[in-house]
Amino acid sequence: MNIATVHSIIDDLGALLLFTMILIVAASQISRAIYAVATQSLFIALAGAVLATATGNVDLWVIAGITLIVKAMVLPWLLHWVVRRMDVKREVEPVIPDMATLALAVVIVVMSFHLSASLGSVRQSITGNALPVGIALTLNGVLVMATRKTALSQMVGLFAAENGIFFTAMAVTEGMPLIIEIGVILDVILAALVMTIMVLRVRSTVDADIADLDRLRG
Amino acid sequence: MSGDRTLLLVLFEMILLVLLGPLLTGIIQKLKARLQSRQGAGVIQPYYDLIKLLNKGTVQADTASGFYRSIPVLVLVATVAAGALIPVVRAGPPAFPLGDALMLLGLLSLARFLTAVSALDAGGAFGGMGASREMTIAPLVEPVLMMVVFSVALSAGTTELGALEAHRGSSWILSWNAADFLGLAAMLVLLPAETGRIPVDNPDTHLELTMLHEGMLLEHSGPGLGCMMLASHTRQIVTLGLAAALFFPIGPVDTGATGFLLGAGAFVVKILVLAVYLALVESSYAKLRLFQVPQYLGIGFVCALMALALRIL
Repeated sequence: MNIATVHSIIDDLGALLLFTMILIVAASQISRAIYAVATQSLFIALAGAVLATATGNVDLWVIAGITLIVKAMVLPWLLHWVVRRMDVKREVEPVIPDMATLALAVVIVVMSFHLSASLGSVRQSITGNALPVGIALTLNGVLVMATRKTALSQMVGLFAAENGIFFTAMAVTEGMPLIIEIGVILDVILAALVMTIMVLRVRSTVDADIADLDRLRG
Repeated sequence: MSGDRTLLLVLFEMILLVLLGPLLTGIIQKLKARLQSRQGAGVIQPYYDLIKLLNKGTVQADTASGFYRSIPVLVLVATVAAGALIPVVRAGPPAFPLGDALMLLGLLSLARFLTAVSALDAGGAFGGMGASREMTIAPLVEPVLMMVVFSVALSAGTTELGALEAHRGSSWILSWNAADFLGLAAMLVLLPAETGRIPVDNPDTHLELTMLHEGMLLEHSGPGLGCMMLASHTRQIVTLGLAAALFFPIGPVDTGATGFLLGAGAFVVKILVLAVYLALVESSYAKLRLFQVPQYLGIGFVCALMALALRIL
């Protein structure tokens, strides 16, 4: 594949990633947000595979495979399992209205494109639009974490933010050392497990939402 | 002026769209019925309905003004005129001054405005409610539709649909720009709203809870109702044609009979694909509560805005 094709494919995948991010921000049911984040991980695995064929870097194939299995299948399955276990359907409780969150999401995307345009020569050396898309995904993930009351939605936001960092790292470095990528993935798995246990434990022992902890004063 | 699309061709395309509009509705209804394991009416049922309505007499509310009877004709004329702006069989700039995509959207909103006015004019409670709801949703749909058009038009530097299509050539998904994906996503979110289908509106009933477009037609009868229905069939195919022209251009084909048939065939395929999409959406989603519609349309708005941002930045 020549460079122009790779650039355009990464650009297109970036657009699809942004679309899944909008779906996550706008999702009114937790299960839809989980499907969206799984799709997002699938696109990131695709981007990894594209970069792997372009650069001939075997590590990227491994990373794409791990992303596909762990983040597009296992973690969403885990989240779905927690949702079923807790028997919640509409576990998305926004702090501010949905439309305001969507508006903020747009502002973030436009700002990240605008800011990365000012980077000039640094931007030129990076594959396609990967840098602004990555920044936008990360910040939007943080936005989801900040504007949702319930722990499960915050987990979805965390995964989305992590996806953004992963995408940026992959495109900027054209393949980080394998050991670092695997370390990052392990971190995510650990974080997911710990948070899952926390969510279930908090629920079963005090039968309360995370938001109720706000009122807890020492 | 030199151009690829002559007056004759544009007229022919316009008449073709009007004639095929009811067929498209019939096909979507048949698809929906099959998806729901029903037999469903035949695909030419909308034609029978239209013929039946045109042969009936008119009953009119006492409170309606003299303007009332002419409104269905005006709505039909505005919608059909919008159909003239859609390139069907051949891309390329028109040979004579013809409106662009903004003109098309303007004509469609003129038709929508007239429909709402007629519903209010008749004085029925349901009509007024349908009109107020339609007018609540329309300002959310139309700007987003315009933004989608702009996001595509920016790359070509023109809003004239034929020239735009010719400029984009026969670009297929593989050669799409990143902004095209977001634009198409926004378009797909908007299509059910613009064609008056689930999850925004339900075309099959005029029950109080679901009615938007159908509610406004309650007071019309006979040939007037027939005109309104023909207008809504035409509006549907025009909207799908707009989506096809923006995102699945046919490209410059040769001017002979082969190119003509090829363009017509490609158009039919594109419209059918979009019709299948509409039928699938209608069969798999429930209608949204009215107050959730802005959030649904917000997704389209955000996608369109991002498509614009991707195109500019």
